[in-house]
Amino acid sequence: MKPTAFEYFAPRTVEEVVAALAGGDTRVLAGGQSLVLEMNYRTVRPARLVDINRVAEFTGLDAGDGVLRVRPLVRHRAFERDISAGPLGRLLSSVVHNIAHPPIRARGTMLGSLAYAHPAAEWPAVATALDAQLDLTGPDGTRTVAAEAFFAGPFDTVRRPEELLSEARLPLLPDRAGVGFVEHRRTHASFAQLAAIAALTVRDGVIDWVRLGLVNAAERPVRAHAAERALLGQPADAGTLTGAARVAGEQDADPREQPHASAGYQRHAVGVLVRRALEAAVRDAGAVGDGR
Amino acid sequence: MRVTLTVNGERRELEVEARRTLADALRENCRLTGTHLACEHGVCGACTVLVDGEAVRSCLMFAVQCDGREVRTVEGLAGADGTPHPLQEAFSAEHALQCGFCTPGFLMLAAGALQEDPSIADDPDRLRELLTSNLCRCTGYESIRRAVTRAAGELAGGAS
Amino acid sequence: MAQRAGGDDSEFTRRAADGGSAPSRREDARLVRGAGCFVADLLPEDCLEVVFVSSPVAHGEMGAVDVDDARRMPGVAAVWSAADLPAVPQTPPMLGITASAGRAWPALAVDRVRYVGQPVAIVLAADRYVAEDARDAVRLDISPLPVLLDPTDAAGSEVELFLGMPNVAVEKEYGDPIDPAVWRDAAVVVEGNYRQQLLAHTSMEARAILIRPEDDDGLTVWCSHQAPHRLRGDLAAALGLPEERIRVVVPDVGGAFGGKSETYPEYLAVAVAARRLGRTVRWVEDRAEALTGPPHGRGQNQRTRMAADADGRILAYELTIDADVGGYPHLGAFVPLNTSVMAAGAYQIPRVHVQTRCVVTNTAPTSPYRGAGRPEAATAIERTVDTLARRLGMDPAKLRQRNFIRPDALPYRTPTGFQYDSGDYPAALALAMRTVDYDGWRAQQAQRRRTGTGAPLGIGICSYLERSGNAWEFGSVEACPDGTYLALSGCCSTGQGHETSFPQVVASVLGVEPELIRLVEADTAIVPRGIGSYSSRSMQTGGAALHRAAGALMEQARGRAAESWAVPIEEVTYRAGTVSAGQRRVSLADLAAATGPLRADEVFEPPQAAPYGTYIAVVEVEPELGTVSVLRLVAVDDYGVVINHVIVRGQSYGSIAQGLGQALYEQVRYDPDGVPETRSLLDYLIPTLSEVPPVTLREMCTPNPNTALGAKGAGEAGCIGAPAAVINAVVDALDLDDPSAIQMPLTPFACWQARQPALAGAGR
Repeated sequence: MKPTAFEYFAPRTVEEVVAALAGGDTRVLAGGQSLVLEMNYRTVRPARLVDINRVAEFTGLDAGDGVLRVRPLVRHRAFERDISAGPLGRLLSSVVHNIAHPPIRARGTMLGSLAYAHPAAEWPAVATALDAQLDLTGPDGTRTVAAEAFFAGPFDTVRRPEELLSEARLPLLPDRAGVGFVEHRRTHASFAQLAAIAALTVRDGVIDWVRLGLVNAAERPVRAHAAERALLGQPADAGTLTGAARVAGEQDADPREQPHASAGYQRHAVGVLVRRALEAAVRDAGAVGDGR
Repeated sequence: MRVTLTVNGERRELEVEARRTLADALRENCRLTGTHLACEHGVCGACTVLVDGEAVRSCLMFAVQCDGREVRTVEGLAGADGTPHPLQEAFSAEHALQCGFCTPGFLMLAAGALQEDPSIADDPDRLRELLTSNLCRCTGYESIRRAVTRAAGELAGGAS
Repeated sequence: MAQRAGGDDSEFTRRAADGGSAPSRREDARLVRGAGCFVADLLPEDCLEVVFVSSPVAHGEMGAVDVDDARRMPGVAAVWSAADLPAVPQTPPMLGITASAGRAWPALAVDRVRYVGQPVAIVLAADRYVAEDARDAVRLDISPLPVLLDPTDAAGSEVELFLGMPNVAVEKEYGDPIDPAVWRDAAVVVEGNYRQQLLAHTSMEARAILIRPEDDDGLTVWCSHQAPHRLRGDLAAALGLPEERIRVVVPDVGGAFGGKSETYPEYLAVAVAARRLGRTVRWVEDRAEALTGPPHGRGQNQRTRMAADADGRILAYELTIDADVGGYPHLGAFVPLNTSVMAAGAYQIPRVHVQTRCVVTNTAPTSPYRGAGRPEAATAIERTVDTLARRLGMDPAKLRQRNFIRPDALPYRTPTGFQYDSGDYPAALALAMRTVDYDGWRAQQAQRRRTGTGAPLGIGICSYLERSGNAWEFGSVEACPDGTYLALSGCCSTGQGHETSFPQVVASVLGVEPELIRLVEADTAIVPRGIGSYSSRSMQTGGAALHRAAGALMEQARGRAAESWAVPIEEVTYRAGTVSAGQRRVSLADLAAATGPLRADEVFEPPQAAPYGTYIAVVEVEPELGTVSVLRLVAVDDYGVVINHVIVRGQSYGSIAQGLGQALYEQVRYDPDGVPETRSLLDYLIPTLSEVPPVTLREMCTPNPNTALGAKGAGEAGCIGAPAAVINAVVDALDLDDPSAIQMPLTPFACWQARQPALAGAGR
C-alpha cells in the first residue's frame, strides 16, 4: 500500500498553486486524509501533487458580512471550538464530531472534503443545505458556484482540474435559528450510512425559515427541497415534522442499494433522521427563544 | 528530496522520494520501528505520532510535508534518562496491551491529547471520542481507557 | 487509587484496579517503549522486499504471465511466475487432512486460479514502493470460469473447481442417524437455518516473514506465527530440505487469532526466492492484502433440528453443516470437524447426529479463527434451544437447566464421541443469572411489552462448552549455575504474555521468585520440539508440561545430591531452590556448577479439556432504525485453575469484543464475481472502543482433573459465548417466531428487516 511516484510542489502563493495545477494530472494536497488513503491503495495515481500547506493566504476562518469564510487550510478540528458564529457555529460543531477521529480532524480540511465529494461526507451536505458559495480559482481568475450546483456525483464536482477550491462562504444563520444534526452509522470507524441536517426558525409557532440537508441519501448531497416546502409556513408541531420527514425520505432521497441497507430501508431511515434533526432544531430554536 | 526533521529532539537529514510516507521515513530511514503500520489507510491509528505536538496518522502524511517540523514518536516518550512516561507505566499497570502492536499509536494519541488538555480524561465523552480514534484487536479497550485515566491522574498529581 | 472513568461496572475493572494482585507483564517493558521487535522491525541490510502479483479473478484459466516490463524496472531484482520456476512447491497438508490430496495449493498459481488474491507471481525489489510499481507492470491473462461462492451451492454445482474431483472435499458424520420415529413422535420439533458469515482475523499485524539463506544451504526464517516447529517441518517438506537446516524464529507477534498457525503459499514463494537469489528476503503483508485473504474464518451454512418432549426434555439434535473452505482445503477444513464434535453443547441429549461437508469454493481459503469451530457449534445449538423454548412457551433459562449435563454425570461422553471432563454447567448459568439480574430484566421486558413503551428489550443466554488444547507440548526447566532458571516451551506467544505467566508456573513449583526464571520459546534452534499456541492450549498443555518439568528438575536435583553425598534419595529434601540432607545443603545453582547441567525435559499430552460457561446479554433494539445496543453483557467462565488472572481476564474481555464484532458488525463480503468488497477497515468493521458495552466477568474454577496444574484452556471463550448470547437477545427483543429470519451480523438493516411490524409497533 505505497503510493505511485509523483512530483511534489510546495508553493507559497496562490499564483504558484494555480500555475502548478495548470500542469495537468495534478492533485491538491491539503489535509490529505482521503487523498493519501486513495494513493496508498493506488486508486489515485497523480503525476504531481501541489502541497498548499505553505500558502499563508489559505489559512483562516472569519465571520463577517453575513457569511463565514472558510479557506483551504482550515482543518476540521477548527469547528470543534466555538467559532462565534451563533447557530452556524453550533451546527458545525455538532457535525464535526461525526467526522472521522481527532487525529484525522487535525489534518483534514473542510474544503478538501468538499472537493473530494465523498457521498457519505458530512460537509458537502452541510454546504448544500445552507446554500454555501464556493470559489474556484483557476488560470482565468475566480468563479463562484453555489454548493448545490457544485456536486456532480460521487467523487465528482464541477471543479475543473486546473482549478482550486479557494474559499467556501457559509451564510451565517439567523440568530434565532435552531439547528439539528443526526447521523446513522454502523460503527464509529465507518462512514455515515445516512445523516440529516436541519436549521430553522420559528415565529409564533410557525416555521418561517428552514434548511434541510441529507448525507448519503443520493449520489450527491441533497438539499431536501420537497420537505422544506412541507415545513414552511406550517406549525412547528409533531405532525408537521413527521410529515415533512416522510416527504424527505420519499421524495428528496434517491438512495442506492448498499451492502447493509436496502433502498427502502434508507428511505425509511431518512425519514427517521430528518424528523429527529427537525425535532432537535425546534428544541434548539426554543432554547434560543427562551433567551439562552 | 532532502528533508530535515527533528525527531525526538534529534535533527535528521533524510534523502527521500516525495512519495515516502512519514511512517516509512521514521521506520526505515530513521530506523525508529516503534511506529507501526497496521492499515496504511488512516483507520487503525497504529502509526500515530506527534507532528508539532499534534497527533496525526503518519501513514497519511508524506515525509516531505514534515520538512522543518518536530516529530515525536513512541521512542521519544520516555524521559531523556529513560524514566517511563506515566502513560507507559499506566498501560503496563492496567494491562492495556496484549500483543502490543497497536500500543505505540494509542500512547502517542493519548500523549498528544493529554499534553494539549490534561482535563480530557475527566470527561468520559471526550475521552471516549479520543480513544475511539484507534483500533485494538486484543484488549477490548476497557483497559486502555483505564490506563489513560490513570496516567492523566499521575500527570495532574505531578503538576500540582 | 484514582477514580476510574464512569459507566463501567465490570468486575474486571475492579479486580485489575486493585493493584498489586498481579505484576506487570515482562513483555510490556519493551512494547510500551516501541522497542518490541516484530518481523517488519527487523531491518537487515540489503534485504529485498516481496510483493505478490495476485489474481484479480476468482476462478479462471491462466494464460501467460508477462513479467518483461516489470523485470526491466530499476531496482527490481526478480519477477517470477510459476512458469519461471523449475519446481513449484506446494503447501503441505495440515493435521493430516486428506482433503488436500489432489487439491494442492501451490506457492504460485499453476494453470488455474481459484480465489481473488491467489499469488500468481512474486516480485522482489530493493524497496516496497518499487516492488509495487513492478507488481502493477505485470500483465496477466486469465480467462474467467464460473464462480462458486456459497458452499451449499458449490456442493451441488456441476462446475468442478478441481477437475475430476468433487467440490465436497470432506464429508463426515458424527453420532448415529436419528430414527425418523423420534421426530414423528416428539411433542415438539424445531428447525433452524443459520449462517456463520466469513470473518477476517484482522490481527493488527498482518502476516510477515523474513528469510535469510545460510551458507549450509539452510534457511533462517523469522515469521509472525503461532507454531514455529510446524512451520519448520512444512518448509523442510515443501523445499526438500532436512529440518535441521531450517531455523524458525518467531519474534514479537502482533496478534494471530488462529490465522498464523499455517504454512501459506506466500511463505514457500519467499523461501524459494531467498534461495534462488541468495539474498535476505521479506514479505510484510499489508492490510489490503490481509483483508483480501486468506485467511478468513467461519463460513458455515447450518441446518438444525431438535426434538423435545412436552416438558422440554431434549430428545434429539441434528446438525448439518456445509462449510466454506475456500479455494483450497487447508487448515480451514479441520474447523467444521471441531464444530461437529462439539455440537451437543452442555446438554444431555440422547441422540445427536451431525453431517458435515467441507466444500471448496472461490472464496479465499479459510482457517481457524478464534474459537475455531466452537462458536459455530455454540451458536447453532444455543439458537436452536432458544427456539425450542419459544415454541414450548418456557423460559430459556429453565429449559437449559432442565437439560444440562449434571455435574455428577461428568466425565461424560457425548454421542459425537467427545468426553467432557469436569464442571458445573447449571451453576454457571445460575451465577450468570444472578449477576445480570435476570429476573429483573425479564420483569422489565414484560412491563415494556405490556405497556408498549420503551425500545424492544431482549435477554439472550448462551451456555457454551468448548474443547481446548490438543496434542502434546514440550517444556523444559534448567537450573543454571548463576542461580537463574531457564524454561523452554514449545508454545509460541502471540500476545498472551507467556514470558510472564509461564515463569509463574515454574516458580510456583520450585518455590522461587518468578524473576529468577527466564522463558525462551519460539526459536527452533533453542527449543528442540514444540507445537505452538492455538486451541487455547498454551497454559493447559504447555503450562502443564512446564509444571511437570519443574517437578522433574526437583527430583533430578535430589537424585544428583543423593549421589554426590552418598545418601539415600529419600533423605534429600528440596525447598526453594536448594536441596538438603541433614546438615548438608546446596543450591541448585551450585549443584549444577559442581556436577554438570541440571535440566529436565518433559513432553506432556493431557487429554483435551472442556472449559464452559454462560454468557447473558441484555439488548435493546432501537425501534425505528434497528440499531442494537448491548446494555449488559455478563460472562461466567470456568477455565479451571487460572495462573494469571489479569492476563486471563484481559483475554476474556478482548475475546468478547471480537465475539461482539461477529454478532453485530463484521462480515467479509464478495461481489457476484467473487471479488472481495471489504478491502478496507472502513468496510470491514471491527469494534472500536465506542462499540464495546459494559462487560461483567465472573469466574468459576473446576480444576482440570487430568493435569496436576489444573488449567483448562482460556482465551477464546468470548468469541464462543458472546455471539449466541447477543443474537438470542435480539431475537427475543424482536419477538421473532422464525429464528432463521435474521443472521449475523445483526446490522440495523437486518434487525429492521427481520421484524418490521414489531419495530413499527413499538415506540412511536
